[in-house]
Amino acid sequence: MVLVCVPALAMAQEHAHRMDDSTKGISFGGMAVVLVTQVDPAVRGTTLREAYLSQPMFMLQARSPNERIAARVTWNLEGAVMRRGELTPGIYGEGYIDRRHPHTALHEAMLVAQHALRGAMLSVSAGKGIVPFGSDDPMMRPFQKFPVNHHIAQILERAVVIGAARYGIVALEGSLFNGDEPESPGDTPNVDRFADSWSARASLAPLAGLETTVSIARVTSPEDAEGKGLNQRKVHAAARYETAATRGVQYMLVEYGHTGEYRRTRKAWDFSTTLVEAGGALGPVRFALRFERTTRPDEERTEGDFRSFRPLLDFSILGRSRWDAGAVNLSTQKRIGAQLAITPFLEIGLSRVRPTVLPTTFVPADFYGASRLWAVSAGMRLHAGQMPARMGRYGAGRTSPAQDH
Amino acid sequence: MNSRLSLSRARGATLGIAALLCVTTACGDDDALPVQNQTPIISAPLAMSVLGRGNLVDRYTAEVYAHGNFAYTTTWGRRGALQTTGNTFYVWDVSGVLPVLSDSVLAGTDVTTIGDVAVSDDGKLLVVPTELVPGSVLIYDLTNPAKPLLLSRYTSPSITRGVHTCEVARVNGTLYAFLSVNRSATLSKLEIVDLSDPTAPRSVLVRDMGNPFIHDVFVRDGRLFTALWDDGLVVWDIGGGGKGGSVSDPVEIGRIRTVGGQVHNAWWYQDRSTGSKKYVFVGQEGGGSIGAASSGDIHVVDISNPAAPTEVAFLNIEAGGTHNFSVDEANGFLYAAYYNAGVQVVDVRGDLGTCNADARSSDGRCDLKKAGRHHAEGLRSAGMPVYIWGVHYLNGFVYASDMLNGLWKLQGYTR
Repeated sequence: MVLVCVPALAMAQEHAHRMDDSTKGISFGGMAVVLVTQVDPAVRGTTLREAYLSQPMFMLQARSPNERIAARVTWNLEGAVMRRGELTPGIYGEGYIDRRHPHTALHEAMLVAQHALRGAMLSVSAGKGIVPFGSDDPMMRPFQKFPVNHHIAQILERAVVIGAARYGIVALEGSLFNGDEPESPGDTPNVDRFADSWSARASLAPLAGLETTVSIARVTSPEDAEGKGLNQRKVHAAARYETAATRGVQYMLVEYGHTGEYRRTRKAWDFSTTLVEAGGALGPVRFALRFERTTRPDEERTEGDFRSFRPLLDFSILGRSRWDAGAVNLSTQKRIGAQLAITPFLEIGLSRVRPTVLPTTFVPADFYGASRLWAVSAGMRLHAGQMPARMGRYGAGRTSPAQDH
Repeated sequence: MNSRLSLSRARGATLGIAALLCVTTACGDDDALPVQNQTPIISAPLAMSVLGRGNLVDRYTAEVYAHGNFAYTTTWGRRGALQTTGNTFYVWDVSGVLPVLSDSVLAGTDVTTIGDVAVSDDGKLLVVPTELVPGSVLIYDLTNPAKPLLLSRYTSPSITRGVHTCEVARVNGTLYAFLSVNRSATLSKLEIVDLSDPTAPRSVLVRDMGNPFIHDVFVRDGRLFTALWDDGLVVWDIGGGGKGGSVSDPVEIGRIRTVGGQVHNAWWYQDRSTGSKKYVFVGQEGGGSIGAASSGDIHVVDISNPAAPTEVAFLNIEAGGTHNFSVDEANGFLYAAYYNAGVQVVDVRGDLGTCNADARSSDGRCDLKKAGRHHAEGLRSAGMPVYIWGVHYLNGFVYASDMLNGLWKLQGYTR
C-alpha cells in the first residue's frame, strides 16, 4: 500500500465536511472545531458562555487495491479536552443532559471485507463503530450542534458485526452489537454483552442523489452497563437527498424516529422525533437550516445541572418534554494549500420546550428560567487530509451506486 | 364504628343471605331451575374520609413520619421558579383536625433531597438521611418534638453518594440505623450504624447488596428484611432468626423474587387478632413519571417457612403504583401510598393466601381485589392531582405526604 494523500477536491466546497473518501491505499485525515457557544438561558435564568475545542479527531483509512479489504480507525480526543460536554440545549444521552457527551477516545475501529458477486456487493464489517440504524452521524452533517434526537436517531460507539448486501438501488444491513452505551470517554464496549442487541436497515436509492431508509433496532439496557436497565425498541425512517450542484440547496434530510423503553414486555415510556434539515451554497457562503420536534426524558440531575444518574434511580423519570428546535448555520470555506481547509461559521439556534406529561416535577420554564432558549455559536472548523463524506455506513451498506465512486 | 364500614357489612351480609337462600332453594326442589353461576360482585372500595391538608407547595414533599402530636415531612429535588431545593424538613402539629406547620429545619446547604425520616421507638431521636453527594445521616434530639435539636451528622466513605432510605430499629436492646445506599460508581450497599451514642454513631456493617438497587429495609424481632429490587426480598438473621446471625454479620435465612421484581419496600406483618406472623407485604416500584404516573403492585409473601418464602397474593391498582406502607396491625389494615392513585387501603386480617377460583390468578396467587380485600381508597378524587409518596398510620389517623401539595390527614378504619 502506498501512502497517498489526495488533495482535497472541489467537492469539498459543496459540503462543510465533505472530502473525497474514495482513496485507495492509506490516508489520514483530521478535524477539529474551535468555537464559543452562548446559551441563554442555560439554567435558572443564567446565561452560560463557553469555549471549546470540539470534535478533535484523527482518522486513518486504508483500502486494498482491489477494494476488498478496508479499515478505518478514528480517534476522538474530546475526553481530554471536553469532558464536561458541549452546551447543546435539549440534547441528552450517556448521563449528560443539555450538554452533548464527549465521544470515546477510540470512536471507531472497523475492518471491512467486501466482495462482488453476480452484480451484488456483499460485505462483512466488524469492530467498534456505528450501528446500521437511523441517519448519519451528526458530526458529518452541516451543523456544529448535534440535534436533540441524537440518541433516538443514531446508535454509536458499539462493538458491532455488520452484514450488508447491495444490489442495484437496494441495500440491506443487519448487525449484532452490545447494547451498553459508553460510560466515559475511556470506556470500551462490554465484551460479555456483545450481541445482546441487533439492528436492521434497508436503503433504497431510486434516483440519483436520493436515498430512503427504514431501520429497526432492539437495544438491550443501553443505560445500564450491567444489563439491568430498560430495553429499547427503536424504529426510524428517513429520506436523504444530495446533489453535486454548486449552488442552491445541495442536501436535505427528513427523518422520523421512535424509541420505546421497556421492562420486558411492558412499555415504560416512549420518545419520538421528526427532523428536517437542508444545506446548500449561495456563492461562497454555505447555509444550513434545521428544524426538529423531539420528545426527551427529563431525568433527575446529579453533580451539577448537566448530568443525570446512570442507571436511572428506580427507573423513573421526572417527566417528558417536547423540544421544538430550529437552527441556522452560515459558513464559508477557505482552502490553505491542498491539504487544509478552514471553515468559519456562525450558528444560531432557538428551542422551545414544553412538558408533555402533567403534572411534572420537571417544569422546563422553572429549571431553565424560560421556555425559549437561544444558542449562538461562532468558530472555525479545521480540516486536514482526508475525511469521509458521511459516517455511519460500511462496505456494501455505503451510499448507492449513484453516489459511489 | 365507622358508618361506612357498617354499610359495607350490611351489604355483604345481604349478599350472603341471598346466596344462601338461592342455594337452599336449589337443593330443596328437584323441579327448580339450576342456579346459574353468578359473577361475584366486588364492592367498590370505600372512600376514605379526608380531614384536611397542610399546604406546602414551594418544595416537593417526600416522606412522612408521625409521632405523638407531631409529624415530620421531608423534601425532594428542586421546585418552582426559584428551584427551591429539597434540603429542608418540616415539623407539623397534627394534634388538631388539620396539620399545622410548626417549624422548618434546614438539613444543610449541600443537601438536595431528603428521601426519608424516622423516629426511634422511644421517641427520643429523629433520623434524617440526605442525598445526593455528600451523603449523610442527621440525628436530632426530640426532647422537644416541636424543635428537633441536631446532635450529630454521620458520614462515611460508603454513603458519599447519598443515603436513599434510613430505617431505625432496636435489635437486642441496641438502637441501629439501617442505611440503603444506591449504586453509582460503586455497588449498592447496606450500612448499619450503631446509635447507642447518638452523638457518635458507629458503623458496624457495610455490605454490598442490591440488583441494581437496595431500596429499603424492615427490621423486627431480630430479623432484617431487605428490598433488593430484582434480587427480590431477602430475609436475614441479625439476632433473632435462629441462624447465628448478628447486626455486624447478618446471615441469610431465605429469599424470594416476587413477580415482576422491582422490590422496593417491605413490612413484616404481625396480625394481632390471630397472632400470625407469616406474611410480609412487599411493595413493587414499577417506575413512572414522577408527579404524574406510576406502576407496581403490592405482593404478599408467606414466610411460614422463612427459608423458602412463597408469594401467595397480590394487589393491583389500575393506573397506579405503590410506594411506601404503614400497617395498622391492631385493626388489620394496610395503608399504602400509591403516588397518583392516592392512598389505598387493604384489609389484611386473616388468611390472605386462600381464595376461591374467581379470585385466583392464572399463576395461582390470590387477587386481593377480586377477593374483596381492597377496602378503601383516598385522595384519588381529591379534586387536584396528587402524588402520594408516604403514609403513616398513628392513633386512628393516616398521614399522607403528597409531593405536590403537602401533608394530608385522613381518617383511618377500625373493625
